[in-house]
Amino acid sequence: MALYNFKKIMVVPTAKDFIDITLSKTQRKTPTVVHKHYQIHRIRHFYMRKVKFTQQNYHDRLTQILTDFPKLDDIHPFYADLMNVLYDKDHYKLALGQINIAKNLIDNVAKDYVRLMKYGDSLYRCKQLKRAALGRMCTILKRQKSSLEYLEQVRQHLSRLPTIDPNTRTLLLCGYPNVGKSSFINKVTRADVDVQPYAFTTKSLFVGHMDYRYLRWQVVDTPGILDHPLEERNTIEMQAITALAHLRSAVLYVMDVSEQCGHTLQEQLELFNNIRPLFANKPLIIVANKCDVKKINELSEENQKIFADLSADGISVIETSTLTEEGVMQVKTEACDRLLANRVETKMKGKKVHDVLNRLHLAMPAKRDEKERPPFIPEGALMRKKAMEVDAPKRKLERDLEMELGDDYVLDLQKYWDLMNEDEKQDRIPEVWEGHNIADYIDPDIMKKLEDLEKEEELKERAGEYDSDDESEDEEMQEIRVLAKQIREKKQLLVIESKEKDIHGPRMPRTAAKVERKKLEKEMGNLGLDMTDKDESHYAQQARRSRSVTRKRKREASAPPTSKTRSQSASRPPRDQSGLRDAKMVKKTKKMMKNSQKGMNRQGKKGEADRHVFDLKPKHLLAGKRKSGTTDHR
Amino acid sequence: MRIEKCYFCSGPVYPGHGVMFVRNDCKSFRFCRSKCHKNFKKKRNPRKTRWTKAFRKASGKELTVDNALEFEKRRNIPVKYNRQLWDKTVEAMRKVEEIKRKRQAKFIMNRLKKGKQLEKEEAISEVKKNIHLIKAPHAGKAKQLEDKMVQKLQEDVDMGDDDI
Repeated sequence: MALYNFKKIMVVPTAKDFIDITLSKTQRKTPTVVHKHYQIHRIRHFYMRKVKFTQQNYHDRLTQILTDFPKLDDIHPFYADLMNVLYDKDHYKLALGQINIAKNLIDNVAKDYVRLMKYGDSLYRCKQLKRAALGRMCTILKRQKSSLEYLEQVRQHLSRLPTIDPNTRTLLLCGYPNVGKSSFINKVTRADVDVQPYAFTTKSLFVGHMDYRYLRWQVVDTPGILDHPLEERNTIEMQAITALAHLRSAVLYVMDVSEQCGHTLQEQLELFNNIRPLFANKPLIIVANKCDVKKINELSEENQKIFADLSADGISVIETSTLTEEGVMQVKTEACDRLLANRVETKMKGKKVHDVLNRLHLAMPAKRDEKERPPFIPEGALMRKKAMEVDAPKRKLERDLEMELGDDYVLDLQKYWDLMNEDEKQDRIPEVWEGHNIADYIDPDIMKKLEDLEKEEELKERAGEYDSDDESEDEEMQEIRVLAKQIREKKQLLVIESKEKDIHGPRMPRTAAKVERKKLEKEMGNLGLDMTDKDESHYAQQARRSRSVTRKRKREASAPPTSKTRSQSASRPPRDQSGLRDAKMVKKTKKMMKNSQKGMNRQGKKGEADRHVFDLKPKHLLAGKRKSGTTDHR
Repeated sequence: MRIEKCYFCSGPVYPGHGVMFVRNDCKSFRFCRSKCHKNFKKKRNPRKTRWTKAFRKASGKELTVDNALEFEKRRNIPVKYNRQLWDKTVEAMRKVEEIKRKRQAKFIMNRLKKGKQLEKEEAISEVKKNIHLIKAPHAGKAKQLEDKMVQKLQEDVDMGDDDI
């Protein structure tokens, strides 16, 4: 169906744009470099390529335009007629024809120049030929400027046409301007057509959709028609006539009973009679609109007679008011029903029906007994069916409430909650208590669990789990603790003292130093011994004796050591043997010595004490970007 | 509004605090502060990082299995609001919290009892080994000995007197 393709027609560029686009494309997409000294076939090929490329582009684009635009003979006569009315069939065909001619001309030009180029013998000649070819093609296109503009406008308008499906169920509204056709369509469908007090507010066809009996219906609103012969009609009216002529629909002829549209009922009747031929084979309903202003029985005698005549003719006349909405539903239902009946009839008369009918068979179950078994329709279905026929009052929406209250409106979604108690809906629900989420504790069985827990707790307490076990320690233990503390403190003191001694030189054993008497007595006194009155003790006497002896004697030449007496250095084992038991130990010791020197030696240090750093800030560690690794360290 | 738990340290993440990271497998991780976030990015395992609650529970330093801890649990069945139920729940929460605290404290106390035992033994051994640093072995014994000697002499003298 060519319907939806109207929106997919490619944009028709203006002549200037078209030329620019194609030429720049040629420049970009073909090779650009050529030199005099190339071989001649290469030069020829180069320029031929350009010509052919340009021709190809033009050809493609123009073909696309030609295929995109609908052929008036191929589409539904309704659309063909509509396009004729709007765009003038002749002009349209002419424009497309011109484009076609242009395309052919461009092809010919390209062919000719390519042939000529075969005989080009220098770069200059080939280049001139190419220039000429492109120039001619562009001139051809420049001459199509007006056609292209016209086609672009047609395309824009075409894509904005309403999508009317000519084959589906349609209701068509027609009548004088300002009678209430657009108001009617606004009421019945979701369309939002302009309704204004001046005539010809609606200037083109509008479509609305509605649902009835589970089917989709189109409602087409037309511009008003005035009463003059067909030849004098303008474009706007012609659209309405086209719709009337081609769409197989139910026709709703809208009349203004109150004559507010500016035309008397006589005139409206005249128009009706004039376009009556267009209503052949279509279910017709006369909608007497604006009955809220004036009812039919309030009219004068003659006018009432008009309506009586029409009813006598077999056409149903229904009074409506689009303002108060009375009668609108009635019109809708009647029009739809009659149209459906009509469509079914036509289908029955057609040829395809018998195929289907032959295959259908309605089976009626034979009666078993006298029990009545009427069909059961649930109440909800009945109510919904009724609501479809009569327009049920819409329930009050949140939006309506908002409009009502204006500034006072507060969105309160809590009122829609489905709770067990209605009055709890407005409660402010607590969420958090002391760092815990209340929602995590919610459980229908929580009270039972709590009871169990409390029982458990009680049992535990009775069993004595929570008694603080501070076993009262006996005196002995306490004494021990005190002593231990004192010992620890003493140890710490000793450590600090020894650190503070700050000995330079080799460390001598305790026995090498002389212990003063006072110091000894003080220390032993601290340890608890009784040191008073110790003048007669052994150590005091030794001290007195040794003083007299240890006076410096005069130095005499010492006797040379005889073989019996060895020098002190000989009596002591050499340092690398002292303290070692056997050869295995010697070996191990030597190994340890070597091991400890390894590090020093490898780093080229003079000895243990050599801590000189030759390069305090090595560049390879501190400079440069971080390739892999983190900010933790470098 | 919920107080979430930090994925790393299991601490509370109040609304408006912390960072949430969503991975490509649709798993989301919340962090209470950048410390936890940075540790996570370093791919550290919270069960091995000593200061987190996950470590403490995994290495048995804190109470893990207990009925009082089963109350606070994320349930997947929604319950409709009912004022009575909510009131009762809040009260129950208070009581449960109390009991939970007691039990957690008791657990930790029990764990630390062993330490006290060791302390005692250490004190005893310390005293046994190093008593010489504060008290000489026979301090005070000299006096005792003297007294004993005096007493003995006295006895001898008495005995001698008796004889005569």
